[in-house]
Amino acid sequence: MPRPSPHRLLAALVAAGAVLGVNAAESGPTPAQTEFFEKRIRPLLVESCHRCHSAGADPLKAGLRLDSRNGLLKGGESGAVVIPGHPEQSRLVEALTWENPDLQMPPRRRLTAAQVADVAAWIRDGAPWPQESGTAPAAAQSDSAAKVRSHWAFRPVPEVVVPPNADRRDTPNPVDAFLQARLTEHGLKPPAPASRRTLIRRVTYDLTGLPPTPEEVEAFVSDPSIDAWERLIDRLLESPHYGEKWGRHWLDLVRFAETNSYETDEAKPHAWRYRDYVIRSFNSDKPYDRFIREQLAGDELPDGGADGVIATGFYRLGIWDGDPADRELARFDQLDDLVATTGQVFLGLTVDCARCHDHKIDPIPQRDYYALLSFFQNIAPYKNEGPTDEVPLSEPVGAKALAVTEPGTVVPDTFVLQRGNPASPGDRVEPAFLQILQAPAPHIVPPTSGRSSGRRLALANWIASPDNRLTARVLVNRVWQHHFGRGLARTPSDFGLQGLPPTHPELLDWLARDFVGRGWSVKRLHRQLLTSRAYRASSTASPEALKLDPANDWFSRFDMRRLTAEEIRDSALWVSGAANPKMFGPGVYVTLPREVLASQSVPGKGWGESPREEQSRRSVYIHVKRSLLTPVLLGFDLAETDRSTPVRFATTQPTQALGMLNGAFFNGQAALLAARVRDEAGITAESRIRRILHLVTTRPPTEVEVARGVHLLQSLERDAGADPDRALTTFCLLALNLNEFVYLD
Amino acid sequence: MNHPSSSATGPFCRRTRREFLWEAGAGFTGVALAGLLGMDSQRVRADSAPGFVNPLAPRRPHRPGRAKSVIFLFMYGGPSHVDTFDYKPGLAALDGKTIAVKTFGRGGKKNEGRVVGPKWRFQQYGQCGKHVSDLFPHLATCVDDIAFLHSMTADSPIHGSAMLQMNTGKILSGSPCLGSWVNYGLGSVSENLPGFAVMLDPIGGPISGAKNWSSGYMPASYQGTVLRSAGDPILDLQRPAELTGSMQRQVLDSLREYNAEHAALHPDNSNLAARIASYELAFNMQRYAPEAVDLSRETEATRELYGLHNPRTQEFGRRCLLARRLVERGVRFIQLYAGGAHNDDNWDAHTDIEKNHNFHAGRTDRPIAGLLQDLKQRGLLDETLVIWGGEFGRQPTAEYEKGSGRDHNAFGFTMWMAGGGVRGGVSYGQTDELGAAAVEDRLHVKNLHATVLHLMGLDPNRLSYFNGGLDQKLVGVEGAEPIRAILG
Repeated sequence: MPRPSPHRLLAALVAAGAVLGVNAAESGPTPAQTEFFEKRIRPLLVESCHRCHSAGADPLKAGLRLDSRNGLLKGGESGAVVIPGHPEQSRLVEALTWENPDLQMPPRRRLTAAQVADVAAWIRDGAPWPQESGTAPAAAQSDSAAKVRSHWAFRPVPEVVVPPNADRRDTPNPVDAFLQARLTEHGLKPPAPASRRTLIRRVTYDLTGLPPTPEEVEAFVSDPSIDAWERLIDRLLESPHYGEKWGRHWLDLVRFAETNSYETDEAKPHAWRYRDYVIRSFNSDKPYDRFIREQLAGDELPDGGADGVIATGFYRLGIWDGDPADRELARFDQLDDLVATTGQVFLGLTVDCARCHDHKIDPIPQRDYYALLSFFQNIAPYKNEGPTDEVPLSEPVGAKALAVTEPGTVVPDTFVLQRGNPASPGDRVEPAFLQILQAPAPHIVPPTSGRSSGRRLALANWIASPDNRLTARVLVNRVWQHHFGRGLARTPSDFGLQGLPPTHPELLDWLARDFVGRGWSVKRLHRQLLTSRAYRASSTASPEALKLDPANDWFSRFDMRRLTAEEIRDSALWVSGAANPKMFGPGVYVTLPREVLASQSVPGKGWGESPREEQSRRSVYIHVKRSLLTPVLLGFDLAETDRSTPVRFATTQPTQALGMLNGAFFNGQAALLAARVRDEAGITAESRIRRILHLVTTRPPTEVEVARGVHLLQSLERDAGADPDRALTTFCLLALNLNEFVYLD
Repeated sequence: MNHPSSSATGPFCRRTRREFLWEAGAGFTGVALAGLLGMDSQRVRADSAPGFVNPLAPRRPHRPGRAKSVIFLFMYGGPSHVDTFDYKPGLAALDGKTIAVKTFGRGGKKNEGRVVGPKWRFQQYGQCGKHVSDLFPHLATCVDDIAFLHSMTADSPIHGSAMLQMNTGKILSGSPCLGSWVNYGLGSVSENLPGFAVMLDPIGGPISGAKNWSSGYMPASYQGTVLRSAGDPILDLQRPAELTGSMQRQVLDSLREYNAEHAALHPDNSNLAARIASYELAFNMQRYAPEAVDLSRETEATRELYGLHNPRTQEFGRRCLLARRLVERGVRFIQLYAGGAHNDDNWDAHTDIEKNHNFHAGRTDRPIAGLLQDLKQRGLLDETLVIWGGEFGRQPTAEYEKGSGRDHNAFGFTMWMAGGGVRGGVSYGQTDELGAAAVEDRLHVKNLHATVLHLMGLDPNRLSYFNGGLDQKLVGVEGAEPIRAILG
């Protein structure tokens, strides 16, 4: 097929006159011009020209820079290369066409006719060049600057007055006062309270991720004391299982996994120590500000200790390509992972959207991104000595942990990268916090050890400061989310302009201030929320609530939820009696089906098989291998491991049913449950059925339910010829498949 | 409003205020009852009115699509383009000579190398006169149905990241696959089968394993399901040996009664009804999925066509035939891996190109030709897009001092498409005279992805999924154009 030569095409373009319409170079490019430039011209210049003709070029060829409009107009050693409006007179176009044997650019690879035509069209159009990013927030310059600044999450957290008690009932908990105000406003009545039986199941799962035993339920139901609820909460908060449940929420956020992904998906030795650190931190109610400082700069804290070193594993949990195509780009991908995770997890902002250009929605200029990145610029992995199970750790702890260090106090310069391209460095930036939050300049003091720059500690101190406008809001919203099914702000990692605003902003602010004022105690926050009437509400919605509050914006009832992947698996273990409550230590390898291992390029590589009793431990201790996630968990919407997961999905799929009906794990647990019940519950079918249903639902079954189970046992034996043990196991399997087992009321 | 969010094509990277997204369960049509409704990853049960919505139904594309299904024949390891479909007569003349040529493979960047001439004779075939090497005598007879893309490029010459890019568009792990996007955009019309099925080579899985069919930041309903051509086709599809069919039916009936009573106490929670329905769907899958993989009713002629009588081609032939059966049953996206594990177990011919490619072409040529012919004779080729290619191609020069092995090459390589609205007998783009790099009408993996979405009736620059503060797209925030020159 004959193709038009670039030259002929160019002639045709020039003859056709203005290609893109109005020449608007003086008044700034139109959106169409900007789009054309960013899509067709800038990438071409970056890819084909900048290696020799930009600020980053070494050496700069012909004194010519093609990385700004000025450079373009100024030209190089032999004069101007672009005459706006006149592609036929522009030497740039002549060079690109390769028509002149002495002037052929780029020298090694001729551009396509279409590309040359694009450049010609762009010059014909006046060579419009959008204003460079990196100077000021685009949004802040616009008319809506005031609106942006007054965005709820960017304002200081105000003192909020608790609304008066409108219905004159006793509302000792401010949470209810705030919620009540909104309910009244919308003509809604407070929801009815849930039964004690419902409540103990709800709160036990919410705080420990496990079901209560029937005995615990009965004790609470019949507890006559006035503070039975408060004592129950205290007992659960003191349970070691609390840290396992809430630690897992944190692990979702920090993209926890124990391998690198990519070709080899190698293990990250000692990642489990970070997991244990998180669990211990929640159990000891470590103040949240301290928790932040340890993860971001534990090695720089004067009193960081072993935890401070292990906590910096935060920086090393992400995906890591050991054999990247482009090492420099891969380095910035690593840094991007840190900016993204830090911004989303602690600040609830998608700072990472400003990697290549100013944030399109939030007032975060590209410069802010690189200023934030510069805090991490000096990080290096702490070389560890490979796997060891040593507890407690001998010095240096870093050698036996997944930790970071810095090579010294001097940090290489950080530059704004144009279009995020490491080959196109622009202005140099200094460490600085986000402009929109009106933070003071960072106070950076290298630690006396002389081993690091002190930058991360400065960042940690700012994030963990009582004055930070986002940190406490983001955290109290997350805790609310895991108790009430959704955050007060429904986008827990995006408090920016495109996130959903909180339904109860005053309550969120009140909680944030209260949280900081009382020492950043997460356990105290739990108590605050759990002692509210709202938490103790029934999930049954009144007809008027369904009508007036269809999305439950005003908490006119409590939302049911499906158990998480870990809760489902752990519950089966706890109900069957097989559970091994052992805490901490290296990850557990559960037995995986052969077919699943066969999907690896080397079947079984990087996986093991732990002893049976180890395999009965809680799911949080299962080794997290990015390319080989445990199917029994993956099927129920495990957190994505490669990036921060603020909210999990709760899908319903037939493959889940297949796994629970046919899979080895649930069949194994059914058999164990049957054995347990044969031991515990006498010899009649009725007593056994009663016990099975009681264990699984944590309530005494109705007579109809018992009768149905007995009938099933009989017909399995009679019609299908199952022996009694098989029939009982089959009923146990049914019980583990009940909706009531996997849904929390 | 159960349609994937579409952001207007505006300035690149534009974020729209996200629309409410139904997480229509693509995995299996059946799945997507009300319980599956959801949104982007931060807005699970965010601002929806509860009630029974049925996102089950297949969704309308942006405009009518030409293709209804895709079969992606993934030649894992990276077949050599200059030895297969990219005819370079000049290269043979240079055989053994050391020349200046820029290459970048696992062995790093090099500026010169010893040319390895194409090891197979090329002949012209079909009305279009396409040159094809003797590696593919059967497939060569189909060239008039095929559009060859000779100017493919990718961002990485390393297997792991290049495979991720071919499957997800990104060299970083954690993003949804092409098959996830197609199912997200269109839903699934198959009642009892996954909408995104992956058939691995029994030799082994590909490098990075399940990352190659992950749904990334999308819900698990969109992830690929590994389907086996022998034995239990889907994980946990088979009842435990001790549980007879009648026992299981009794269990399910009883379970439904318990669950119905429980649901009656929570009438406004439609998730409970969805979960009840999911058990019936699972039961149907148990009944029908084995039928889909049962080839016993195929005629002798068909079996012959796919090479099932030849031990060499039997295995891949079975999977190709299975792919056709899945297409007939409405599966949207089917991916077959030719080659597995490491080194010469796939197309990764680092030491001896002849031995390696004779082996891999030998076991796939007949089956792939059979697949194209069979689809065509059944009138299915027009609505089934078949894609062939690996994660990259191979260099014109030798990797080592001795031998004919070639290193990886992402600067230029060949893929092809057939059916589903693609013009046949077409060759698009060119590499240089050595086949070292694409020089004419350069294509990126993104253009290939854009073409697939376009043919399915989806606008690649509008199909988006909100995650992490961004309307994510398969073709990236900067977008990509479909390869219009090959569209019929």
